[in-house]
Amino acid sequence: MQISRRTRQHLDLLKLLVKKEVTLRYKRTYLGFLWSLLNPILTGVVLFIAFNIFMRFEVENFALFIMAALFPWTWFAASMTMSANTLISNVSLIKKVIFPKHFLLLSTIIAQLVNFIFSLPVLIGLTLFYGSAPSLNWLIGIPVLVVVQFAIIYGLSLLISIANAFFRDLEYLVNVLISLLFWMTPVIYPLEAVPEQFRLLLILNPVTYLIQAWRDLFFSNMLNWHNIFVSMITAAVVLLVGLLVFKKLDRKLDEVL
Amino acid sequence: MIKVENLWKSFPIRRDRPGLKEFIVKSPKFLNDNNNRFWALKGVSFSVIKGESLGVIGRNGAGKSTLLSLLLGVAQPTEGTINVSGNRTPLLDLGAGFHLDLTGTENIIINGVLLGHTEKEMRERMDSIIAFTELGEFINMPIRTYSSGMIMRLAFSIAIHTSPEILLIDEILAVGDESFQKKSSKALLNLLNGGVTTVYVSHNMEAIKKTCVSAIWLEHGEIRAQGETGLVVEEYLKTQG
Repeated sequence: MQISRRTRQHLDLLKLLVKKEVTLRYKRTYLGFLWSLLNPILTGVVLFIAFNIFMRFEVENFALFIMAALFPWTWFAASMTMSANTLISNVSLIKKVIFPKHFLLLSTIIAQLVNFIFSLPVLIGLTLFYGSAPSLNWLIGIPVLVVVQFAIIYGLSLLISIANAFFRDLEYLVNVLISLLFWMTPVIYPLEAVPEQFRLLLILNPVTYLIQAWRDLFFSNMLNWHNIFVSMITAAVVLLVGLLVFKKLDRKLDEVL
Repeated sequence: MIKVENLWKSFPIRRDRPGLKEFIVKSPKFLNDNNNRFWALKGVSFSVIKGESLGVIGRNGAGKSTLLSLLLGVAQPTEGTINVSGNRTPLLDLGAGFHLDLTGTENIIINGVLLGHTEKEMRERMDSIIAFTELGEFINMPIRTYSSGMIMRLAFSIAIHTSPEILLIDEILAVGDESFQKKSSKALLNLLNGGVTTVYVSHNMEAIKKTCVSAIWLEHGEIRAQGETGLVVEEYLKTQG
């Protein structure tokens, strides 16, 4: 397939930015890139020990129950926190070089996606350990949900990063909001465990559907199209708003950086 | 070819950066608050034909750097139009976009791609870029081990090897030690004589006279004089006492 020079150049730029993001994180460590694989394994081991030996809940296979939602959540939360700073911390680049600024955001999100993909072996291993096996549903569900979650993260990070350039308070607010959102989303507890009168709060939270869709896939081995569909709508709305706001404020960005 | 018509640029002035409180109270209104803006450029017009060099002189704060960022396209005009046709290469802040933990070679690739080239194009030019830097074995070391002079040499070599069509220069000619300075001046003059369109901001009047046919003198965001370089420089120097 013949692609134009401009497309080629953009692909090269994105590839290099992602590579920089993924490898530089561990540049001065001994294990280097291996940490990307080691991180989810260690998280898995800790949770497995905690919930199989020390704390026993009514839920079966609680370690897998948590990890099925925690790994996608980590991709979401880490991307959000990092993208709040992305434009600000690349001031020298943005002020002196013309290039597509949103590539900085894309590369941050893709680098976090790489980390998420490295956590899949842990999920597969755990699934096998509990005596079931990943089915064909995974082959459909993972790509679909990755695309949907990518769109949600990208839309939100366009909004947050550009807004933070104008109102630097946002950077601190994001951290608080992310941890609030963490507790308002059924990541480490089942939705059913929430008392009836508060459950509406979680049902109104769009991230709930995304996280539930992941858990249905990894934990229950099923494609929950209701949750996936709601997440798709969220993705479309967030992406549209993000792109519009970014485009509008982008013209004024040079005045505030 | 560069054509600038009635260019205005303003920046918001604020004692304090607005926080969320102000944002909520005043809403996005204050982004467009025209009473609170500093005008860096006030109705500047000029054009540079292909292959010519324009010198830009003036005191600190006259709007020279603002003009360069607008020409480069990293800033947007508040009013007026800019037409720049051709591949723009900035020699503004050498080393913007370098990463200290990457080696010289890795930085050459990533910097070149940021400047608008493909990875393949940069690999093809790699040898001549490395040869020009005279960095020897350092080229494979992370650039945090470089001296500041070495970093400048690397950045300069990349910039002049990216086949620029429009060159935007902001007072950079003091690159490296004496021998490298001679070499870089020569390479730059070669580019200028080779048909590159240049806008050259400098306080070095001799360099401006040597490289530019015409010049503009900016003061408080307005053009105070414009025309043949020798005359503009002479007029400017008269006021500097």
